[in-house]
Amino acid sequence: MSLDSEDVVQIALPQREDSAKIVRLTTAVVASRVGLNLDQADDLNTALDELFRLFLNENDPPHPRFYVRYTIGAADLEVVAKGISQNLFDDSSKMNRFSRFILEKVADKVEEIPSPQGGYEVVIVKSLSA
Amino acid sequence: MPRKPNNALSKEEILSLFRTYQGTKEPEIKNLLVNAHLDLVHSLARRFINRGEPLDDLVQVASMGLLKAIDRFDSDRNVQFTTYAVPTIVGELKRYFRDRASTIRLPRGLRERSHALNIAVQKFSQEHGRSPSIAEIAESMDISEEDVIEGLESAESVSVASLDTSSSENGDLSLLDIVGGEDKTLKLLDERLSLAGAMSELGPREQNLLYLRFVEGLSQTEIAKQLGISQMHVSRLLRRTLQALRQNLTTARETR
Repeated sequence: MSLDSEDVVQIALPQREDSAKIVRLTTAVVASRVGLNLDQADDLNTALDELFRLFLNENDPPHPRFYVRYTIGAADLEVVAKGISQNLFDDSSKMNRFSRFILEKVADKVEEIPSPQGGYEVVIVKSLSA
Repeated sequence: MPRKPNNALSKEEILSLFRTYQGTKEPEIKNLLVNAHLDLVHSLARRFINRGEPLDDLVQVASMGLLKAIDRFDSDRNVQFTTYAVPTIVGELKRYFRDRASTIRLPRGLRERSHALNIAVQKFSQEHGRSPSIAEIAESMDISEEDVIEGLESAESVSVASLDTSSSENGDLSLLDIVGGEDKTLKLLDERLSLAGAMSELGPREQNLLYLRFVEGLSQTEIAKQLGISQMHVSRLLRRTLQALRQNLTTARETR
């Protein structure tokens, strides 16, 4: 199976430690289908892992699901990860500063959009070019 | 964590530090308590040395147990701290081995595939100057992409070599020697992100690895080439280092 431009893959997982592995496997499959090399795929996995851990942060209000949507574009792979109401761009938290630093290093674009449900959607874009 | 002699403080001084720490949660006091018990950490870690894990890793695990014990110890009870701490630290070490046992018993076929994958990735990277895609690995090994993904995932579960482990590609040099010793750049990264010393709790080599990847911007393949290890190995080391740093940040927040 190959994925075409504008194909979308979505997963919704319980926000638990063991879901991280499913995110990693799904990312590996999608990365493979769109032709990312191991460095690029690992960057994406590092970004998602960082977000997942951030959303698991015990001080955050509980949220039952972690959503990831992969949208395959002609020149890039857009990944939207939706988690709990954590403001990634709030610089008062060391954890946030660290997570954002890592995210900005491994993704080509990181954006945070307030969600109507009170959480934040974090959009990560990874270019398909080498 | 630098090792210091523990005979610098008397039992009374330690008890006094605990009373102050329980009231203030001052990180400096906690550091004094940690330093005062590093001999205990090393001694307990050495008890597990015959189980095939590097001493440095065991000391790290035992140190986590010590931190927990310091946080949980109630100085009002008529019990010496070491009496309380030993089961906590040993429990942490046992849990470490239990967790590892659940991940390292891979079927032989998967272990072999993981090893073959490692070689295929290195060969491709040397020939093409970049890391391969999963499809390219599958083609070179004549297996399915699903098998490659399964193999990569199982490789994640295989023991991550310590930075003290010898690198076969570099003779007797340990990764520790290759990655480098103390590096001022690590401090810069810590200061840049205002992590208030969380970085310094990592070993200098782990900090250097983070520096090469996230400040110098080298890809995993480039780091692998520079260090003479595989890309998959760099990937696992980075993942473990990020986990350790996150843990340090969480611990720092909990103890504030």
